[in-house]
Amino acid sequence: MSQPEKELTEKESLDLIAMMINKAKDSYHDTGIGAMMWGTIITICALVRLSEIHFGYRLPFDIYWLTILAIVPQVYISIKEKKERKVKSYDDIYMDYLWLGFGISIFLMIFIINAIFRVWEPVSAEYAQLSGQAAAFKFREFIAPLFLLLYGMPTFVTGAACKFKPMLWGGLLCWACCLVTIFTTIKIDLLLTAFSAVFAWLIPGIIMERDYRRAKKELADTHV
Amino acid sequence: MFKDLDPILHSQLRLAVMSLLISVKEAEFTFLREKTNSTAGNLSVQIQKLKDAGYIDVIKQFKDNYPQTICRITKPGIRAFEGYVANLQSYLGKG
Repeated sequence: MSQPEKELTEKESLDLIAMMINKAKDSYHDTGIGAMMWGTIITICALVRLSEIHFGYRLPFDIYWLTILAIVPQVYISIKEKKERKVKSYDDIYMDYLWLGFGISIFLMIFIINAIFRVWEPVSAEYAQLSGQAAAFKFREFIAPLFLLLYGMPTFVTGAACKFKPMLWGGLLCWACCLVTIFTTIKIDLLLTAFSAVFAWLIPGIIMERDYRRAKKELADTHV
Repeated sequence: MFKDLDPILHSQLRLAVMSLLISVKEAEFTFLREKTNSTAGNLSVQIQKLKDAGYIDVIKQFKDNYPQTICRITKPGIRAFEGYVANLQSYLGKG
């Protein structure tokens, strides 16, 4: 468009508008690093907890503390990505709030679950002492569905809003696993949690990263 | 009766810039240059015209010690763009 301005026909004007709007839409490429990181961390946490239960050992620390540690690189990644971005879309703001809300909900959920445990465990112990058998209701069997319920929400909304099908299906998978884990044992629950994290975040993250690299390379090639 | 097309928008590069900015919240000058395949000088002139018409806001700042220009469409700019598209459609529909 460096040549002198030419008179546009009405049709050419509309075509130009459509082309530029499409170009703008094609310019948002998430690096996928955050999704890959969280997919990996949740998978590791779920599988390590599963091995602790299956093999009857206990790590000296709670493996889920990894999720707290991961907040530091996540903040760094977010700031770096925002700095590098040459364009800010309206979706970015909504997505930021959606995932921030998800993070807050997860921590509230952990807080609520711990509060329930503090009340339920003495009751359960007392029941076992009086009746001589363990309580039929095991609260820990219902923790995974609650988390999978939350995992599905932002994943599904992000997939739908960004028209990114791997995440949309990943969100639906989280909800399907949520339903299944209501009826399964804790070992299967943890296996399905790892499975959901791989398909909802890790694989979509890898696809996003590949698309991001491709878009970056295409841009570099056009400016040689 | 056809309305005249807005002369500020009825120009290839200015229309391209407005079409990009209508789709995003804000964009850097370098992004606009990449997407429109224009030269920095030509783009600067056209951006200034859009700014003078009140259709866009131009924010000049520094990022990592380098000058950075950010462009953002204004409410009058959105109204003008919508009016321009409506006029185009009426031309094509009735023409």
